[in-house]
Amino acid sequence: MKEDKGERSIVTETISRVMIPFIQLFSLYVIIHGAVGPGGGFQGGVVFGASIILYITAFNLTDGRRRFPESASIVLSSSGLYLYAGIGLLSILFSAGVAQYLNYGFIPLSGQFEQNRALGMELVEIGIGLTVMAIVASIFFDLAHKAEPKNKKEETD
Amino acid sequence: MRGLSISALILIGLLGALFIYVYEDLPAFGDPNAPAIKYTKLFSMAAHDSEEQLGQGVIPQELISKLKERGFPRPSRVESDPESENGWNVFIPKNEFHYDKEEKYYFIQKKGDELNVFRNAFVIRWIEKGLKETGVPNMVTYGLADYRSYDTLGETTVIFTAGISVILLLRRRGRL
Amino acid sequence: MECLFTMILAKYNYWLSVILMLIGLYAILAKDNLVKKIIGLNIFQTAIFLFFISLGAVKGGTAPIVSQEMISKGYVYVNPLPHVLILTAIVVAVATTAVALSLIIRMNEEYGTIEESEILEKLKEPGT
Repeated sequence: MKEDKGERSIVTETISRVMIPFIQLFSLYVIIHGAVGPGGGFQGGVVFGASIILYITAFNLTDGRRRFPESASIVLSSSGLYLYAGIGLLSILFSAGVAQYLNYGFIPLSGQFEQNRALGMELVEIGIGLTVMAIVASIFFDLAHKAEPKNKKEETD
Repeated sequence: MRGLSISALILIGLLGALFIYVYEDLPAFGDPNAPAIKYTKLFSMAAHDSEEQLGQGVIPQELISKLKERGFPRPSRVESDPESENGWNVFIPKNEFHYDKEEKYYFIQKKGDELNVFRNAFVIRWIEKGLKETGVPNMVTYGLADYRSYDTLGETTVIFTAGISVILLLRRRGRL
Repeated sequence: MECLFTMILAKYNYWLSVILMLIGLYAILAKDNLVKKIIGLNIFQTAIFLFFISLGAVKGGTAPIVSQEMISKGYVYVNPLPHVLILTAIVVAVATTAVALSLIIRMNEEYGTIEESEILEKLKEPGT
């Protein structure tokens, strides 16, 4: 974003370098503590995406693309949705002839029934967080990219 | 654009008038007796000897016939409510309404000379039984990821589709 | 007169939501710039979320997080059902805004302008 003007701001770069790891740590806290306090998958995913947007705004768009390439965003978003649908399919398979309703309690993750339900819910929230984070970052990259001028005609952006 | 602005203002005036027309039916702000969180009234019936029958734990025949002709599920057990005076909780049996155990469904209150029959709101079951069934304290999280997890799967698909469509639309401008 | 004043003050949250809704609707209908229309759509959606969540408020109720000691003390909880439904709706609003903005970028590259009346004129004249 600052590559054509050629000026850098030292204060913004230093503050961003310090703050970005703590923002990412806070987003992981919000995702996993969604069961005990306010939070959950969507909220934590958006906060993580916001940390990537802060990196792009403080530094170059090219540097940001090098740290978060397009293949990473596609792989992360697909694997989040795959995890969610996989947990659902497992719960269908395990409770096939036992009960007439579906819940995560029949997956043998731990010993008791309620503990299985809580753990299944945590895995589902992690899947949602992955998808939302990758998609928010990918949308921002696509909207902020400036097109190259073609045939010596200026593109109004 | 003058014509469009004027017609937009007229449409907005009409919609404002429509809101004033339905204003009196909305519940007050923060009302603890609103029907969305407590109960809604179904009907009321006369209480000749139904009250003694309810006190003993027997469901009166008039109640069963009135519920059946309106199409509500059949009651099975009566218990007196400890929190309110002159109130009885009525349960419905197992597998009557796709539940696994018997559930608290109706609420009867005696007022004056009549018995008012209410039906419990939908969220009462979430508030009372959620922690014991799922082991998660947050009501919104177990509402999203356990009782309504199918809707959240569709939701994640929506945001995935939005991201993919943005990539497809803006692909021709050169890749980074 | 006093009864009328109390009636208006007792349900003031609906007034705020409906006024925001009407502002957003006016921006969608009567503005010329395409980006301003999308921002009006966003204002409209936010007003709908406020209206729906304020339907489920309870006076003196705490946040909907259950714990055993609070049940024994007899706390009153806010209705959690509107919160669950509006979380889904917020994500739909974000997705709609993202796709709409990318469509506006493509239209700008095609026609060179984002005013609606100029785009309609360019479509009407015979020629590419």
